[in-house]
Amino acid sequence: MAAQTQTMTAEPKAKETEQFLTGAQAIMQSLVEQGVDTIFGYPGGAIMPTYDALYDYQDRLKHILVRHEQGAGHAAQGYARMTNRAGVAMVTSGPGATNLMTPIADAMLDSTPMVCIVGQVKGNLLGTDAFQECDIIGISMPITKWNYQVVDADEIPEIIAKAFHIAEAGRPGPVLIDITRTAQTDKMTKPFHYPKEVDIISYRPRTVPKQEHVEAAAKLINAAKKPYILAGHGVLLADAQNELKEFIEKTGIPVATTLLGMSAVDADHPLYVGWPGMHGNYGANVLTNECDVLIAIGMRFDDRITGDLSTYAKQAKVIHIEIDPAEINKNVFADAPVVGDAKEALKALIPLVKQNSFPEWRAEFAKYDAIEYEKITKKDIFHDGDQIKMGEAVVMLSEKTKGEAVTVTDVGQHQMISNRYYRFKKPFSSVTSGGAGTMGFALPAAFGAKVGAPDREVVAIIGDGGFQMTLQELGTIAQSGLPVKIIILNNNFLGMVRQWQQLFFDRRYSFVELQNPDFITIAKGFGIAGHTVSDRALLSESLDTLLNSDKPYLLEIICEKEENVFPMVPAGTCVTNVILE
Amino acid sequence: MKTTYTLSIFTSNTIGLLNRITIIFTRRRLNIESLTVCETERVGVSRFTIVIRHDSREAVEKLVRQIRKVVDVLAVFGYLDHEIVFNEIALFKIATPLGGTPLNIKEINLDWNAKVVHWGLDYVVIEKNGTEQEISEFYEYIKNWEILEYLKSGRVAVGKTEKGLVEYLPEGNWEVV
Repeated sequence: MAAQTQTMTAEPKAKETEQFLTGAQAIMQSLVEQGVDTIFGYPGGAIMPTYDALYDYQDRLKHILVRHEQGAGHAAQGYARMTNRAGVAMVTSGPGATNLMTPIADAMLDSTPMVCIVGQVKGNLLGTDAFQECDIIGISMPITKWNYQVVDADEIPEIIAKAFHIAEAGRPGPVLIDITRTAQTDKMTKPFHYPKEVDIISYRPRTVPKQEHVEAAAKLINAAKKPYILAGHGVLLADAQNELKEFIEKTGIPVATTLLGMSAVDADHPLYVGWPGMHGNYGANVLTNECDVLIAIGMRFDDRITGDLSTYAKQAKVIHIEIDPAEINKNVFADAPVVGDAKEALKALIPLVKQNSFPEWRAEFAKYDAIEYEKITKKDIFHDGDQIKMGEAVVMLSEKTKGEAVTVTDVGQHQMISNRYYRFKKPFSSVTSGGAGTMGFALPAAFGAKVGAPDREVVAIIGDGGFQMTLQELGTIAQSGLPVKIIILNNNFLGMVRQWQQLFFDRRYSFVELQNPDFITIAKGFGIAGHTVSDRALLSESLDTLLNSDKPYLLEIICEKEENVFPMVPAGTCVTNVILE
Repeated sequence: MKTTYTLSIFTSNTIGLLNRITIIFTRRRLNIESLTVCETERVGVSRFTIVIRHDSREAVEKLVRQIRKVVDVLAVFGYLDHEIVFNEIALFKIATPLGGTPLNIKEINLDWNAKVVHWGLDYVVIEKNGTEQEISEFYEYIKNWEILEYLKSGRVAVGKTEKGLVEYLPEGNWEVV
């Protein structure tokens, strides 16, 4: 655009002022210069000037119109989880912005980089209870890594650059920028300049750890007899999966991944021992309380992993490699804290640790695996009951996709089963709502993941309950034409809540049974093909139909109604207290 | 046993930061005893002085790390009382009606180290600086007269270190006011 090239020149002349960008154009230009390619959004009054500017930027910025602002947020999250870059959501003020709060809270807990651009009423109307006015800065403050209200068009490039920097640097997280309508419509009073580098004096997260901390950690590792690694989301966020592989192969230390760290290690790697936590693997839980050195990498000792903290890994020396210093000693005391990025920390550690192998210690995991296989896995995947079990469906999916698909799961039983039985062969393959446990996450997040990684097979696996929370995003998927594959594991129950009611509330099934709609008709209404399968004999070909479709496809699998997910460590109890059946 | 902790928090001077800091306390159900915000000798740097009482040093350390985590926070220091020089300012509006017992100004000045800062028609305003303890002792003394109004500020505190705290701020081109 001619106007822009002119405004890029350094010294403005008075006559050129009228050719300066408007705030709305500055938003668009900033996104382009930031390298953003996709915006997930929904227009409305207070963001209309920016949508008007977007009209001229369609060749440089792909905008995806969602069906609900929550969908924009989760799609941006899914995109971010595939690309390790901030996903962008753009919505209007008031209800548009409040609808974005759930994805923001979700992204905060799961350290997902996201930049939310939110319209706000005109500057002179702030604080007057104007139409669609809402104190979104106040509301979003506890759930954003940073937020800021822009009232002056001149601030826009600098603030947007800062927003992306904060969202992606250190421990990533969501950032919200609230931009008044006036700041969008006003012209800048100076030439547009987008800062290439951002340095925030109060925010310079340490990426390279202190050498003495790395040495202290190496010393503990080299003296360990029964070391155990818990690898979290931080490994993937730092793109450190190769360093982790090198580290475990040199040290011979068994490694588990957290729910969010899932797929950071090849599931078939001989040192991979599964995942810890409430529905994690038997050995991965129990042996936490037998290891002598626990090496936590890029994870935060969530209560779903630790259970009762007063009995958690008390015998072990804990090495905590973590980029966020506030996580050190927050839940579990670290004997050797290493503050830094997982990649840098592992790079520094690898030369300092001894080549080793722990055959006897690893045999302990194998022992528990055998029990778990006998008591749980076998029953889940080979059984002759009338109805399909979730586990067998996921195992079949895993085999058919050779463990190379991206699974995007919602929250509940299907989520645990999917992550339990899908054998992830590639990093960045499990997208799920972990910390927040947001039902309704999977469908829009799967769409966002497909946008972020169009060459990968993306399969959303969703329960019948969660699916109904954001099913309107079928419209977004249909409009995009992207072949997102959707599986509903339908047990006609809010299964996880029902399981808890069965186990801990004396089978008093309080409001967990659903009268479900005909999901296939709904999908067809949106222009998405699909079918239902309830017969085991047809499961394989049904999955083939789903996977072979070059368009979005919905497969509803009718599952056993009252299946439970085991193993289970009841909430707040010791990790050795594993229920197997 | 609860201990008093004084937190000195240095931040960049941004709108909304007060909120962002106080929600860290409210979310953990921590009561703020007092809070004072002021500008510092460095341009664009604000200083929060927050007093809390807590029975767990570990919890206070966690709190400090959560505050430090806020993007616009430059530095946080936590102190015990013996590590700082601290003060508060109290104002007492005392009735001085005709025929009432006259105030002993000499005693107020010399024994209590307080002073009358405003003479009204039938009242005076007395300013008393000191620690919470000193102010509360003075309160006990002055309540022999009718207290019309009493209020006091939050604590301000400086550490007993040789260097100023701003020396510990991240490296940058700090402009001095």
